[in-house]
Amino acid sequence: MSMSIRTLTRVLAATACLAAPLPLFASAPAPGDAGTPDSTLARGAYLATASDCTACHTVPGGQPMAGGLKIESPVGEIFSTNITPSTSAGIGDYSEAEFSEALRHGIRADGANLYPAMPYTAYTHLSDADIHALYVYFMQGVEPVDEPAPETQLPFPMNLRFAMKAWNLLFLDDTQIEDDPRRSAEWNRGRYLAEGPAHCGTCHTPRGFLMQEKDGEAMAGAQVGPWYAPNITPDLADGIGSWSHYELFTYLKTGKLDQAQAAGSMAEAISHSFQHLSDADLRAIAIYIESLPAIGSTANADGKVEASAAHDQNRFSHGEASEALASFRGDGYAEGLKGDSRGAQIYSANCASCHQPDGSGTADGYYPRLYENGVLGDDNASNLLATILYGVDRETEAGGHVFMPPFGEQSNAFNSLENDEIAALANYLLGHFGETDEAGKAVLEVTPEDVQVIRDGGPGSPLVMLARIGMGVGALVVVLLVGYWLIRRRRRF
Amino acid sequence: MTQTASAEVVIVGTGVVGVVVAEQLLDAGISVVMLEAGPRVTRAEIVENFRNLPLGIKGSASSSYPPKPWAPHPMPRTGNPDEDYLQLDGPDAYAQTYIRYAGGSTWHWAGTCWRLTPDDMRLNSRYGVGRDWAFDYETLDPYYNLAEYKLGICGPADPALQWPPRPRSKPYPMPHLPFSPGEEKFTRVVKDALGYTNLPVAQARNSGTPYDERPACCGNNNCVPVCPIGAKYDAATSLKRLEEKGATILSNAVVHRIETGEGNRIEAVHYYDPERQSHRVTGKHFVIACNAIETPKLLLMSADSRNPNGLANSSDQVGRNMMDHPQMGLTLTLDEPYWLGQGPVVNSGIMETSQGDFRAEHAGAYFRMNNFARNRYETFNALKTGKVGRALDEEIRRRTACTVNVVAAHEILPDPNNRLTLSSRKDWLGLPKPHVYYDVGDYTRRSADVYSMPIARRIAEAMGAIDVKEPTQFAQSKHLMGSTIMGNDPANSVVDTDCRAYDHDNLFLPGGGAMASTACGNSTITMVALAFKAAEALVSQAKGA
Amino acid sequence: MQNSNKTPGVSRRQLLIGGASLLGSFTFAGPTLAWAKDFEDTPLHQRFMRLSQLLVNHRLNEGVGLRIAAFAAQKHADLSGMIGQIVEIAEQRDATEVEQFFDAIPEGELRDLAYWVIAAWYSGASSAAADAEPFTYEHALTYQTTLDIVPIPSFGLSGPNGWSRPPAPLMPVPRF
Repeated sequence: MSMSIRTLTRVLAATACLAAPLPLFASAPAPGDAGTPDSTLARGAYLATASDCTACHTVPGGQPMAGGLKIESPVGEIFSTNITPSTSAGIGDYSEAEFSEALRHGIRADGANLYPAMPYTAYTHLSDADIHALYVYFMQGVEPVDEPAPETQLPFPMNLRFAMKAWNLLFLDDTQIEDDPRRSAEWNRGRYLAEGPAHCGTCHTPRGFLMQEKDGEAMAGAQVGPWYAPNITPDLADGIGSWSHYELFTYLKTGKLDQAQAAGSMAEAISHSFQHLSDADLRAIAIYIESLPAIGSTANADGKVEASAAHDQNRFSHGEASEALASFRGDGYAEGLKGDSRGAQIYSANCASCHQPDGSGTADGYYPRLYENGVLGDDNASNLLATILYGVDRETEAGGHVFMPPFGEQSNAFNSLENDEIAALANYLLGHFGETDEAGKAVLEVTPEDVQVIRDGGPGSPLVMLARIGMGVGALVVVLLVGYWLIRRRRRF
Repeated sequence: MTQTASAEVVIVGTGVVGVVVAEQLLDAGISVVMLEAGPRVTRAEIVENFRNLPLGIKGSASSSYPPKPWAPHPMPRTGNPDEDYLQLDGPDAYAQTYIRYAGGSTWHWAGTCWRLTPDDMRLNSRYGVGRDWAFDYETLDPYYNLAEYKLGICGPADPALQWPPRPRSKPYPMPHLPFSPGEEKFTRVVKDALGYTNLPVAQARNSGTPYDERPACCGNNNCVPVCPIGAKYDAATSLKRLEEKGATILSNAVVHRIETGEGNRIEAVHYYDPERQSHRVTGKHFVIACNAIETPKLLLMSADSRNPNGLANSSDQVGRNMMDHPQMGLTLTLDEPYWLGQGPVVNSGIMETSQGDFRAEHAGAYFRMNNFARNRYETFNALKTGKVGRALDEEIRRRTACTVNVVAAHEILPDPNNRLTLSSRKDWLGLPKPHVYYDVGDYTRRSADVYSMPIARRIAEAMGAIDVKEPTQFAQSKHLMGSTIMGNDPANSVVDTDCRAYDHDNLFLPGGGAMASTACGNSTITMVALAFKAAEALVSQAKGA
Repeated sequence: MQNSNKTPGVSRRQLLIGGASLLGSFTFAGPTLAWAKDFEDTPLHQRFMRLSQLLVNHRLNEGVGLRIAAFAAQKHADLSGMIGQIVEIAEQRDATEVEQFFDAIPEGELRDLAYWVIAAWYSGASSAAADAEPFTYEHALTYQTTLDIVPIPSFGLSGPNGWSRPPAPLMPVPRF
């Protein structure tokens, strides 16, 4: 009898998710300055940025922290709450203890449980001092907004919040993270940030059937609605072991490398959170992530990359610049859409202007190359299809406002492509820029049905249905048992 | 005849004027049905149409938009009047490139958005020529602001670079686009040698930001005939949004008659579908937003017993006063590279030459270095030299880098003899083709003789041109204006200050046809300002009624 | 654009692969030299590519060559013979570059064909006319001569607002 929504699966709406600037100190000084009330407030603001509260609690273009963002989860819609210090509609009445309970244990001031869409399983690791600073920030640094956010109404039995108590008993590890004295201060800082405020595992760690993060598979990759948060362990073949430290740092700061560009939830995380952290904190996070046990085909049982693994194949190494223009150029658009040239024609008409006819992108990398690109080279097509359907919107100081239009049903869609068109396009892309076998055929194949799944917001969860069935069966068993007992009682008398 | 659709307001035409009016109505809670003669297409298709054109015709704005048989629009002229749609007559050919597709001609415009100046609107009182507008610049200013924010127009913030040269009442929504090195050079040259300021042009293009959730301009240099990414505003980008707001948009619906009723109010419009079946669409108010050829053509075709001279035509001005911006384009060969083709196709211009007391004698002109990449114009010239191999490569490169197109766009005065009438030749649906008699007139010709071409030659000299090719005749800029002219006096005007037809109080005719003067700058932004003004009046009228 | 190693054959253009309008056997008017026999047996488009490579000393796309060759075959009944003659002139001079043999091509039909082939590769079309046959756009060599600074229209060279960098010098022409 456990049901939970843990995955932050947000179907990005067509509206550009503009980073709502945090009130006060969006790029606050690094924490560690203790003492003065001003610096506590600044530290709280910085921590709120690091925890990316705004990503869920601010509707794009709306009032900061006023909630109301609809989060599509595999088990239903969840609305984020108003966490401004409004006493009527927000958390203005919360004591610091109640604030701490919500962040660390997922329990509201009124005693009800929060769904783990609120990543309290990560925030539980926040230190007392940091909880205090966050509290000060939310009470004094955020404008109160008296408009209540919509109530979350999940389908039965997910609406039984008390069931979260059982889930928490099983899966919430609320121990404080103790510094490891064998490790550097930087590594410890990185672990604190990654496991706590930045809550990387929330997206990147695969989940079990009851949607808990799986032990022993930290950061090995997981589906997040229509997107896939890939393996970011140091495995050379399946993770990001091929990245240099500077590359990982740059990725966190800008969301962009030649071989990888952040989109979906990660673009939001970079735009709202990572780009505002100090360089020292980003380096620390990178150091920690690089130290994780490697999980993948070049790692041994101890989580170390095999010394003998001379590996040059990974999701960033496939494909080359290539094009199939001669198969349709000069024939006319309608003709080009027929037969074998269909995928190539769709690519030319919709993608080549920016990504160039041969997929090499622009020299400045603003429009990325499509070969040797982690999206095209992966063994999971979710990110490819999600990028096409939902586009990319990412704004950083270093990289400017990066924007790729969507191709779904949005009113600003460049072109609303059908499932079969996207499938043809994806197969063209995978054949030219993805992993291919010895015969040159793409290893991955996309069907129109695959496209529909991504269009629907990602694979759904059978949890609701199974929970209902489970409860129905349970109830039936109870009825039968009671009935049997009653009959037996009658028989006795 | 079937009754297919009805709404409070019926809008004929889904170009920029139609979509702007539609959105204002929808936002005010008023229902809208839009009728578009031509097809609804995707950007993808048009981009590929362009890429599939042979090099020699890639410069033709309308060739990427093959017309449907039922909605013919002007294509490159064959000279055979049975093949050509526009029947042209007179010393100057009123050749045009407007298209009848959902989204209209902003599909292929350059995005240039020069406002009128206060003097542009008072030609008669200031210079004794032409007509004054029925209101002043101050009246139009707030609507210009609305136009700039709706379309996403970027422009300079520097007070020294403003057009008109006066402080703005509201900043541009986006900063102006950068100049290419060639434009920087041109700017320096005209300043140093002639004292002219080459201004960054206000343009409907996303500058460094995804305004309106469309990508930012990255210099595809393909604005004409189509922006491949939608960074340039075109009305087609509004259509889906309008439908989400509740508009009904019928494409391939060729309106052929406007029906009047009691009180000479408009009752309905009739349209043909591709099967030549006619349908009747009713409403309470009607907007004809087909710009200055199709709108007067429709008004004339709708002549009935109440209006034997055509609708809205008691002034006899419908179809008259056809205006455009007659232009002279010089091709210069320079001895140093200017490298046209970096950035958008029109990025700057010299406007101060359009203003001055000389306008009592002759037309003003505005000068621009057109920024189209030169390969398509120079490749065949290079091949004709007979060079091969390395010499050919160098020849193409040199010509591409060192030839430049400088255009002088002139104003023209309204002349009732410049007139659109219904031709006896019919189109595929059996409707009359438009016939236009046009003569740019002495006012403009004198400008070329004594003013604009001498300036152009001095510009060429200052640039160090080693060869100058001057045209012998004016070409048209393809900016349709004048044929449903606005004025305070119904005796000589078709529409009032809200672009409402004097003869029919529920008929609005916003667009280029209402413009009382042309000045020298492209007409679209003024058309859109008029659309906002008309929409404001229409919303009031619809709610009050 | 720069790299065109995967160009699937143009299946629609059956014209070239054993089409009836093509010459089944290619006979030369000139002397039968050893090299000519080899040349004689290759499909028309390969021979056309050989000619093109001699006349245009740049990387040429095979798929585009197929289209140009098919069009030329429709216009010239003896295309194969003409190709042979021009190639022979080049071979007689041991030419690897067009400058080494072009002046030896006799005026008239052969020189016209040579110019036409060059024009087809550079312009990407069969002529300057509005109804010319389009062979390519992205591979038209005219754009390659200036691609370091001028984009092929509809294929911008950078991210937003990136065109105010200092321009390349007029010469030399980039390699392509």
